[in-house]
This record gives sequence, structure tokens and C-alpha cells, in this order.
Amino acid sequence: MSTAIEYFQFVLAPQMLIGLVLGVAVILVALGLTIIFGLLDVINMSHGEFYALGAFIALALGSIGLPFWLLVILVPLVMLPIGYVVERGLIQRVFHSSERHVTTLLLTFGLGLVMEDAFRLVFGPNPHKPETPIPGAIDVFGVFLPLYRLFLIVGGAVIVALVAVVVYRTRLGAMVRAAAFDRHMAASLGVPVQHVYAGAFAFGVALAGLAGVLLAPIYSVFPTMGRDFILMAFTVVIVGGMGSIAGVVVAGLLLTQVQAISSLYISPVWSDPIVFGIMVIMLMVRPQGLFGRLGHG
Amino acid sequence: MADALTRSMRASHVLVAILVVASLIFAAVGVAKGDTFYLRLGTEALIFAGLALSVDILLGYTGLLSLGQALYFGLGAYVSALVLMVTPSFWAAMGGAFAAAVVVGVVGGVIANRVRGVYFALITFGMAQVAAKVVYNMRSLGASDGLIGVPIINVNFGFAAISSASPAGFFLFTLAFIIILYALAAYLLDTPFGRLLIALKANERRVPFLGYDTVTPRLMAYVIAAVIAALSGALYPMLRGFVSPELLFFSTSGNAVITVVTGGVGTLIGALYGGILLTLLKSVIGSYTEHHLVVIGLLFMGAVIFLPRGLMGIVRPAIERLLARRTKS
Amino acid sequence: MTYKTTMMAALLAATALSGAQAADPIKIGVVTPLSGTYAGIGQQVRWGLELATKEVNAAGGIAGRQVELIFEDEEANPAVAVQKADKLFQVNKVDFLTGTVNSGSTLAVGQVAERAGKLIATTVSFADSITTDKCSPNVFRVNARAGQQSAALAVWLSKDKPKANVFYLGPDYEMGRSTVAAFKSAAEKVGATSSGEVFAPLDSKDYTQYFGQLRSARAQVLYTSVAGNDTVRLLTQMQEFGLLTNLTVVGASGTVTAQNLPAIGKAAEGFVTGVGYSAQIDTPENKKFVAAFQAANKMDPDLYGADSYGLIYAYKAAVEKAGSTDTDKVRKALEDLKWQTPQGEKTLRAGDHQAIQTMYVVRVTGGKFMTVGQVSGDDAIGPDACPRF
Repeated sequence: MSTAIEYFQFVLAPQMLIGLVLGVAVILVALGLTIIFGLLDVINMSHGEFYALGAFIALALGSIGLPFWLLVILVPLVMLPIGYVVERGLIQRVFHSSERHVTTLLLTFGLGLVMEDAFRLVFGPNPHKPETPIPGAIDVFGVFLPLYRLFLIVGGAVIVALVAVVVYRTRLGAMVRAAAFDRHMAASLGVPVQHVYAGAFAFGVALAGLAGVLLAPIYSVFPTMGRDFILMAFTVVIVGGMGSIAGVVVAGLLLTQVQAISSLYISPVWSDPIVFGIMVIMLMVRPQGLFGRLGHG
Repeated sequence: MADALTRSMRASHVLVAILVVASLIFAAVGVAKGDTFYLRLGTEALIFAGLALSVDILLGYTGLLSLGQALYFGLGAYVSALVLMVTPSFWAAMGGAFAAAVVVGVVGGVIANRVRGVYFALITFGMAQVAAKVVYNMRSLGASDGLIGVPIINVNFGFAAISSASPAGFFLFTLAFIIILYALAAYLLDTPFGRLLIALKANERRVPFLGYDTVTPRLMAYVIAAVIAALSGALYPMLRGFVSPELLFFSTSGNAVITVVTGGVGTLIGALYGGILLTLLKSVIGSYTEHHLVVIGLLFMGAVIFLPRGLMGIVRPAIERLLARRTKS
Repeated sequence: MTYKTTMMAALLAATALSGAQAADPIKIGVVTPLSGTYAGIGQQVRWGLELATKEVNAAGGIAGRQVELIFEDEEANPAVAVQKADKLFQVNKVDFLTGTVNSGSTLAVGQVAERAGKLIATTVSFADSITTDKCSPNVFRVNARAGQQSAALAVWLSKDKPKANVFYLGPDYEMGRSTVAAFKSAAEKVGATSSGEVFAPLDSKDYTQYFGQLRSARAQVLYTSVAGNDTVRLLTQMQEFGLLTNLTVVGASGTVTAQNLPAIGKAAEGFVTGVGYSAQIDTPENKKFVAAFQAANKMDPDLYGADSYGLIYAYKAAVEKAGSTDTDKVRKALEDLKWQTPQGEKTLRAGDHQAIQTMYVVRVTGGKFMTVGQVSGDDAIGPDACPRF
């Protein structure tokens, strides 16, 4: 019995805690992705590059001396107009074609290529690593945890809660959900659908940027960083249900725990195929995902 | 009077004829100048055009975007390389690639065809990623280094043989091979089977009311696309003498999608023209700037926004009008 | 302007020396990753080659002929590398080719060279296979291979950390597994014990999931062969978890380099590796090279820059010895060639085309690679295992 407790305390618990941090990271990236899909019905293939853009903007602003905590607020604010312009200038142009899924996916895919190369052009090919904003570590029941990772877990929970409140409890969120459910009905009720779409895209992109700022001290900053989380983020969005915030949280935590615990017993190389296998099974059994689509009950 | 589909198909055939004539002139000039590089580049362009053709069968005729067609291209390339290293026989390599593509294509098709739309795109993307990772880590397949030492072979027809080392000979052979793949695809899609696919794309819910099964035709289309990708891929190691896991990477699938969209979705011939255009463009731009992704990406975005029907969207209607005038007069 | 005038002056000098036929330049093709994951390494290769070419040209060129470099981006993708190499050989008619970084590209381009009857050299790839079981008569390697690096590091380990308990963490692909296996056998030969090994997928985001294993192994030394940004993550995450205090981290020469050292920062302090070059080597030749490299590129040279720089001088020596750029003659001249490089004299072994050179053990101290030991070339090289020639 005592060996089981020891096993839990020294092997399983630390592994789960580490998985939890990774889970929060994945959720932060996937949150914007699921909102853009749920509200606009657009697969944003350049989402990873917007995540990178947030990190690079933070890097540039940080190098002129702005403190990290200011950047956490400033970067998403800078990302908002960028996202708005991208939606109005690019996505709207192909949004109304009959094959919206494919055309918007292709367009954002092209945008991702351009952005990734532009990062290299501007910031060079080598990695950068911002200083950890909160140094030090604590012991949680004998499990070692750096303070910044603890902050990420708490901060991540706060961000998810705030986003959920905005989407489900405010008038703005109601307008957005209405536009997602039936744009013609919403328009006739006086919802400025065009601006709502652009705003929702900007919101999703700003969340990606925020994830970029928050995760840079752990995962470092480099031009191809956008590819890092993107397959996992897509998997989480699909398993959770496209557009569902609760789905992202549950699927994000679940899948990263599966990865963390499975890597104790089998080669970590298999963790990606395992997670992908779960996605395939999910799509076969319940294609709408765990929680179904936002705005569609 | 032919219907719209047959008419546009005829226009495509004219474009094929132009492509063949242009290629013959290209080959003749190449031989006269003693060129190797451009003939081999042209061969490579045709091989990747074959991959694009398979993407177009899925995207153009079933409306399903595959972001992982490199899986089958790489499968064909690896099987072909492995067979050739044991026995340098073209037919054995092609047979192996064909068989592997059918088996893997059926499995992949059963998985991917459970879903539609973006889910299909993401699931094909994921399957290719996992396969690429496995190959990248597999020692027996040369892991990250790939396999070198694929021998130069003779494509033996009984009455004549073409060496894969002969730039012009192998170019013309590849041209013929890809054109045959094109012709087979075009023929299949003009049959009732092809029309059924188009009907499925237009409205999947109504097709069952007409008494047709919807699952099998989709799977068929998927397997046909897989086979075409694999057979094209099987030519790659014959041309270049090696295979590497990068052939299965997302950039390969992504390039094929770019090719099809720029060339014109659902035209088949657009994939061939697009493939040649993109390979040449990459080669030329790549020599001037290392930031070729910016250029390719911007051109691609421009094509998506301004040329929703691709290059063929401009060219083909013009040819159709020409053909129509001729039949009238 | 100044560059042009020196070029002109050099050209004039060359013409004066060897008559009118000197106008025809010697072309060297460079197929190197200028974009993608390895772009940082490609940058060093480019800078090293350009600096040496400028110097050689200013001093009258190779056998009186100016040297021209032609660059092509290979995107760290063998399929692209092969196409670009074909172009350089067939269209640009280059006499020699170099620049490939990942071993897949080097092997594939080597095969292209063999079929085209040309020579190539790598200045970066360190997979042993290139000059052992997959060796080619047309491929040379002027940098130290993995075996030489492990040998040097193992000698240091036996002196500085005798009978150490070593834990291994490698990237899960061919290069990672072979470097770990090579160092493990070298270390065990000098009395080290192994307490475990783990292979992480390439581009792992989080290495923290292996820290439990690492802790429970109670190792004194961690050997790792991850590279590039993976090292940034591994070392900074270890620092974050307080693992660096009682642990000496050693690794492959590509693990910590000038490209990722600024990003790793303090977490790289104390890292030890066996390598063929360090900017801190205290010889007049090296100081001159570092100063010139710094002046041209505002960055210190690393092993890739230095080995690429040295290659131009090897080629110059070989062509001048052969009296032509003919493949067979140059190959013969390169075999057993001895020439001077910033890191001292190198010898190209005829039996496997591998450069033999003094190996250095360097430790990161104050953000610089300080040499803490060296092993003679003959002790580090190991047997000739090339079966083909």
C-alpha cells in the first residue's frame, strides 16, 4: 500500500502536474482556434503563426525595455487590429463562396507560409528566450514546481473563465453567438454582422498572441514555433467539439494527461500517434466532439 | 450536342495536346543543347504534377481537401526504392507501389471517409503527420537520412528499353506515364461513376434517394487518388536515386494543394500545368532569394482571392468558346 | 566599393602573375539551408566560405584564378538539395560543391556528385556513416565526425569525473541514437557507469516529463545530443526545475553553438563538449581569423563557420597541387592532404576521406567556449571503416 502511495507521490503526481502545465499551454493556443471556428466557421491554418506573432511582438517590445506584465496586456491589444484587418482584408473576400471551408483554409494556409518566412526575415533564424518573469520554485506536497508554471496554471484558468464570461454572459457575446447561429436573422435584428465577424476573428487571434507572450519564457521564440502546438491544438478542438470552450478545456486536459502518463510506460515517440488515434476514434463515434458546436446547442 | 461536362473535358484534352507538343519541343531543344538539368527538373515537375492530379481528383470531384496526400506519394516512393534495391525491375517497383497504395488507401479511406469537410482535411493531415514521424524514426527505412543507392534502371518494354539515367528518355517516359494517369482519371470521371461523384459533391443527401450508394464511390475515389499519388511517387527514386522522409512531410502535401488551386480545381489538367509552373517558379525564385516562401505564399493567396477557378478558369473557357465556334461553322 | 576595388586589384595581380588565361574563375557551388530549421547553420557556412574566398581572391586566387561562390538554398530537405546540386553541376558547371548540413542531404548530394563525376565536401554533417559504411569516393569531410567528438569528451570525462554515473538523453532519430550509442561505449570504456537513457521526439516541447527519470537515476553527468532550439528548451527547463546545480551536462558539438547560446543564456554555463573548434583557441592564426570574421559578420565564428572557412584553403591547396580542377586529379591531391586551418593542421585521411585534427574539449564559461583540454588527432580518429576504397 505504502509503495503505491510513494509511486503516486514521486512518479505519477509530478508527471500529472507537468502534464497539467502542458495542458494549459495547449488550451491557451486552442481557445482562439475554437472561437474562430465556432463563430466564423473558418479553419484558421495560420493560427500557429499568430501565436508566434504574439511572441515576436513581445520580444520586440521587451527589447526596448517594456516589462513583461505590461506586455501581457499590450500584445493582445496590438493583435486585435491586426486580426480585424486580416479578416476584413482577406478572409471576407472568400468568405461568401460556396466552398467556404476550403477557401478560407487555403487562404490562411498561404498567410501562414508568408508570416513564417517574414519572421525569419525580420528576426533572423536563431531562437530567442525571454527571461522567466517569476523565478524560483515551490514544493507542492513534495512535488517540485517552478513558480512561473504555477502562475500559468492559475492564469490559464482565469483567462478561460474570462473568455467564457465574455462569450456566454455579455451582450457582445450574445450578438456574436446570434450571428454565428443565423447570420440573416441576426442582421435583421440589427446586429452589425460584418463587424461581429471581424471582431470575433480579432478576438481569437489576440488570444493566440496572448498565448505566445505567456508561453515564450518556457518554450522560447523562433520563426517555426507556430508549428509546435498546431496539430495538438487542432486535435483538442476536434475532440472537444469545434467551437466549444468547455470542450477545449476538457479535451486539452484529457489529452495532455494521456500523453504525460503514457510516456511513463512507452516511448514518448508514440504519444502523438496515441493522441491522434483518440481523435480518429472520436470522429468515428461522435463526429461533433464531446460538447458539440458553439451556438448550436 | 454534348453537355457542359463533356465540353469542358474536350477543352481539357486540347490543353493536354498543347502540353504534349510543348514538352516534345522542350525535349528536342534539351537534347540538341545537351542539357541534363532542365530535362530532369521537367521530369520532377511532371512527377509532382502526378501528385497534384491525385489531390484534384479528391478536391475537384468529391469536394474533399486532402492535406496529407504526401502519405501516398511517399509510400509509393519508399516501396519503389526498396523494391529497386532488391531487384532493379521497373514493373516490380510499380506493382509493389500499386499494391501498397491499394491496401493503405483502403484503410486510410475507411478512416478518412467517416467524416466530411474540414474534418476530412484535418484527419488526412494528421494521418500523414503520423506516417512521416514513423518513417523518420524507422531505422530499417534509413530513418531521418532516408535511403540512398537506388540503382539506375532500364524500363523494359520487351521491344525497347529506356534508362532512367537518360534525361530526355526518362522525361518522355514520365510524360507518357503521367498523361496516361491523366487519361485514366479523365475517363473514369466521365463515366457514370464520375458523374455520381459530382452529384455527391453537389448534394450528398439526395443521392441515396436516386438509389445510389454513397459510401463506396467515395472510397473508390479515395483509393484511385491514393494509387495515382503512389505511382507518381514510385517514379521519384528512379529519377533521383534516393528517398527521404521529407517526401512525406506536410510541405509536400501543401505544395500539391497550392499546385491544384493555382492550376484550377476540378480540371485535372490544371494540376499538370500548375505542377510544372510551381516547380519552375520555385527553382527560379529559389536561386534569387532564400525568402521564396513569402513569394510563393503571396502568389498563392492572390490565386485564392482573385482566381477562384485557377489558371484554367481563364484559359479553358476561352478554348471552349473556340471549340464551340468550330462545331457551329 | 572597397570590395570591388580589392577584387579588381586581386584580378590585376592574378593576371600579372599567370598571364591572360587567369580570367576564367573557379566556381564553387554551395548548397546549404538558408531557410528552415537549419538556416542559422547555413548562415555560418556562408560567412565562413565568403570570408575565405575574399582572402584567397585578394591574395591572387587559386592557381591564379579567382574563386566564385554560387549559393543555392536547400531548405534542409534532401529532395531540394539534390535538385539544386544538379543545377549547380549541370547549368553553372561548378568545379566543386559544399554546404550540405543534415546528413540526409550530404548523402544524397554525394550520390549526385558520384553520378556527375564531381567532388563534394561537407563542413557540417557529423553522422559517422558519411565516412564509414556509406562513404563515397567523391565525398570528403573536413569537420570532425561524431566519433572524434565522443572520443575527446570521453578522455575528459575519465580525467575530470572518473567513474561518473551518466544518464543519456538523445533526440529520437538516427543521429541522436547513434551519438548516444557512440558516447556510451566510449564512456563505459573509461570506467563510467550508465544509469539510464531516454529518447525524446524531435521538436519536443517539454522535456520536463523526463525529469522524474533523470532525478531518480541520481546521475552526476547528463549526456545529451539534442540540437538547435531543442537544447534551448532542455537546458532552460532543467534550470527552471533546479536540475543544473548538482549535474554536469555534456553533449555533442552541435548541442550548444553560437546560434542557440544567446537564447540559452546562463543555463548553458558549465556545458562541456568535445569539438573540432572553439573561437577561444589561443593561437595567432585563430585570433586573426576570429577578428576578421567578427569584423565581417558582427558575430563570433562557430565550428561550422571555421570548418567552412578552412575548406576553401584545402581546395586551394589541392587544386594547386593537382595543377587542375579535374575530378580525379583533385581527389588524388585531397587524399592525405595536410593544410593549415584556424584550429591548426588538418589531414584528410586517404582511406575514408575523413579529416584528422586535434580535438578540443570546451566548457561554456561566461558565455564563451573556453578550452579545457585537447586530444591529439590520432587518438580521436578511430579506425578507417570505409569499405568502398
